Amino acid sequence: MMSRPEYPPELRRKNVKLALWVLVIVILMFITAVPFWVGLFELATGVR
Amino acid sequence: MLATKRSRSGSLLAAALAVTGFGATAAADEVQRWGVNFPPPASTTAQEIYDIHMLTMGIATILLVIIFAVVIYSLIVHRKSRGYPADQHFHETWFGRWSWVFVPVMVLGVDLTIAGAAQKTLERVWVVPQDQPLLDVKVIGHQWYWEFVYLDHDVKIESRFVPKEEAGIHYLREVDNRLVLPTHQRVRFLHTASDVLHAFWVPELAVKKDAIPGYVTETWVNLTREGVFRGQCAELCGTWHARMPIVVEGVSQERFDAWIEEQKQVKLAALAEATAEREWDKDELMARGERLYNTMCAACHQVDGSGMPPAFPAIRGSAVATGPIPRHMEVVLKGVPGTAMAAWNSLNDLEIASIITYQRNAWGNDTGDVVQPSDVNAAR
Amino acid sequence: MTTATHAHADHEHHGPPSGLKRWLFSTNHKDIGTMYLVFALIMLFLGGASAMVIRAELFMPGLQLVQPDLYNNLVTNHALIMIFGAVMPAAAGLANWMIPLMIGAPDMALPRMNNLSFWILPAAALMLILSFVVPFFPGGGTQINTGWTLYPPLSLQVGMSMDFLIFAIHLLGVSSVLASINIIVTIFNMRAPGLRMMQLPIFVWAWLVTAFLLILVVPVLAAGVTMLLFDRHFGTSFFIAAGGGDPVLFQHLFWFFGHPEVYILILPSLGVLASILPTFSRKPLFGHHSLVGAMIAIAALGMIVWAHHQYTVGMSLAAVKYFMIMTILISIPVGLIIFNYMMTMWRGAMTFETPMLFTVAIILMFSFGGLTGVMLAVVPADMQYHDSMFVVAHFHYVLLPGAVWGLFAGVFYWLPKWTGHMYDEKLAKTFFWLHVVSFNITFFPQHFIGLAGMPRRIVDYNVMFTEFNMISSVGAFFFGISHLLFLYIIIKTVRGGEKAKARAWESAQGLEWEVESPPPHHTWTTPPTIKTA
Repeated sequence: MMSRPEYPPELRRKNVKLALWVLVIVILMFITAVPFWVGLFELATGVR
Repeated sequence: MLATKRSRSGSLLAAALAVTGFGATAAADEVQRWGVNFPPPASTTAQEIYDIHMLTMGIATILLVIIFAVVIYSLIVHRKSRGYPADQHFHETWFGRWSWVFVPVMVLGVDLTIAGAAQKTLERVWVVPQDQPLLDVKVIGHQWYWEFVYLDHDVKIESRFVPKEEAGIHYLREVDNRLVLPTHQRVRFLHTASDVLHAFWVPELAVKKDAIPGYVTETWVNLTREGVFRGQCAELCGTWHARMPIVVEGVSQERFDAWIEEQKQVKLAALAEATAEREWDKDELMARGERLYNTMCAACHQVDGSGMPPAFPAIRGSAVATGPIPRHMEVVLKGVPGTAMAAWNSLNDLEIASIITYQRNAWGNDTGDVVQPSDVNAAR
Repeated sequence: MTTATHAHADHEHHGPPSGLKRWLFSTNHKDIGTMYLVFALIMLFLGGASAMVIRAELFMPGLQLVQPDLYNNLVTNHALIMIFGAVMPAAAGLANWMIPLMIGAPDMALPRMNNLSFWILPAAALMLILSFVVPFFPGGGTQINTGWTLYPPLSLQVGMSMDFLIFAIHLLGVSSVLASINIIVTIFNMRAPGLRMMQLPIFVWAWLVTAFLLILVVPVLAAGVTMLLFDRHFGTSFFIAAGGGDPVLFQHLFWFFGHPEVYILILPSLGVLASILPTFSRKPLFGHHSLVGAMIAIAALGMIVWAHHQYTVGMSLAAVKYFMIMTILISIPVGLIIFNYMMTMWRGAMTFETPMLFTVAIILMFSFGGLTGVMLAVVPADMQYHDSMFVVAHFHYVLLPGAVWGLFAGVFYWLPKWTGHMYDEKLAKTFFWLHVVSFNITFFPQHFIGLAGMPRRIVDYNVMFTEFNMISSVGAFFFGISHLLFLYIIIKTVRGGEKAKARAWESAQGLEWEVESPPPHHTWTTPPTIKTA
């Protein structure tokens, strides 16, 4: 669209690359939430 | 904005004074009646908790006064309208350069004071002492009533909300059967729940613990005085969360023993009646059924059987209550998974038979069916 | 529409397209920022309306207006709408508007994704509203009576509206994760040449920390509610004790998100104050670097204290001790921030325009909320406070001053920049006093009834709690009405008013004041030169 500034190709590549890295953290947090936290909480909360 | 906060707590007292007009004691009584702080502690642990509460509140108040004083001084003095020249280099003085060290150290000091005192109290409150015999009471949360089992005496009581007409000013903090406990005796509560989360809370005893299905959590008290202590369920448990009061009655050891003996007799009588080999006629079952239904079922399904759809279906004219008897028994005995309808299999055969007979013949459900305790026994 | 005829001219001038297309397809950080703010304002009124019904019901003991399930549903909606619909989008709106202007960037790093992260929000809001509406139709199932914490097993009993709510939470999560990615990339990659990280305004730093918190904790909430969905429909037993699951696990997952969420709400607003205080104190910010450090410390500590929301679930002594001490330690960075802000005022030449009035009120009221927070952190005392009205009073004292007032202060501070008009100072001050006084009347008495034994989330209460509830409700009605005045001030300012200079406040510092008011559609297409201090 007209309302978007044109960024130089290097900057665009750099932006997308960083964004994808951050997305990797997001996905890791999502999938580790289930098995990892289950185990850790069982330990941390102690006596049942 | 300064005026608002500081003067409000003061103005409250002043207002109470002006309203009552009986001087300081009357005002203090009035504020006491409104309830501004914890009720007077009635157990050893509650007293310790009250003390740590007053300590942290005291420290917090002192810090708040300091913050307000500094800000108010600054607001009055450091303003452009008074011609105060802004100090452009204040942040570069030694004070500005090193405050990031000494402020955290000072706050840490306050923190450790609070944490140190809290930790000592915590250890005494949290861990159930094992060096003296304990009276074990299992506390089971249900939607929406409490069940208390005296494990050492094999006595069980159910404690339900009573309507406004009977409860009077204690409405929502009054029950039909109180939890009777002896004073000067360590009592261990074992908390669990049958359906959803509940929480047992009696402010005078300073006990609050979640009741969680699948868990057994524990707390303990040692009552220091006799009296009636009122509390409520503190964890949102669905529609009638507001109608799950807890009333603890602290009595002397002798009165407690007598009360337990009485409960045992009541239980034996009920058992004898329920297991008696006899046919019950319809009127008897209907009379018992109405009483039991109004106590146990009416909170959800209503006294007139109209229910509160969609959460609580109507029984009046329902397919279950006017259809085949085996299905009706199954719903009552096994509950309906995924809904608030619990399995009522802890009731005895006579009770179940009365309730089902009542439901099948009341409010125009004129099936004419009579369900006998022996039928219920067969269906279990 | 005149869109077609102007298309050519638009292309020539890189101006905004007119009509609906300007907003629907916008990739401009200023337009998207405006949309976020307008969305937040609409949601503020929706969430406020539920609060008004709640307070009206609690005005007297007894069931007057609403049935218990509807009451619980309103409690749920009030929280979700205010948190996810009002405060977070408003903070994102400020971020969109101000971060590119403050760091000398022409726009956000990923402008098309910016459009996506905004437009997911109305869809999410629709799902949220549907979850409230469907139970009113035949076959719509029961109402959501769980509160915003959605604790199982209760949330497993609820009808289909819970599924709408779970999907609404998924969408809200996607939206804020995308917005956070954009903000992180913008701050790292798009700064004007020569602008070092430690030179960034505190508002930008606050949002950087917030964005990292969001990408770390929102996926965990998403995982939690997904497990809930599976338990509801696909026969799993993550949270069902009878199937070998653990109801408390959901609480851990929820609060692992929920506690950092508090700082997600507060940090951007605290960042705003760091812009406002030097302007109206006419002297530089006190402790710029230590503010950055304090914010990072808050985020780090905030991620490891979640279980202080669950002291009553029966954790071991060692576990509660750990959570108590770590929670109390958060007072160190928070105390440092409050100290730095007080010292920015100290020996300044202060004037008290509305943004500054809000800032001073925040310092005082937020300190109060923070101190009751320390009281709540103390485990034995929490055995009394937990799930009582004291907690309700505490978090409203934290979230209104800490989050909402900071946003109000930011709106008044930057409104001249956005609209090119000064707002009506007299009306804005009236709003401030009405708002802050009625806030205190509403929430201060709730401390007392909480200590005296009134649990939270109850639709009906014993007569002993009547007086303070009445005071609280009366305060709440004035509090609610005050927002109509806020709306009027905003509309009036947008439509006209005294012309604002580029530097709308005489001693305002920062790159955002170097561009005109209102700024042209594109700013900093050639990056500004940074003076090396």
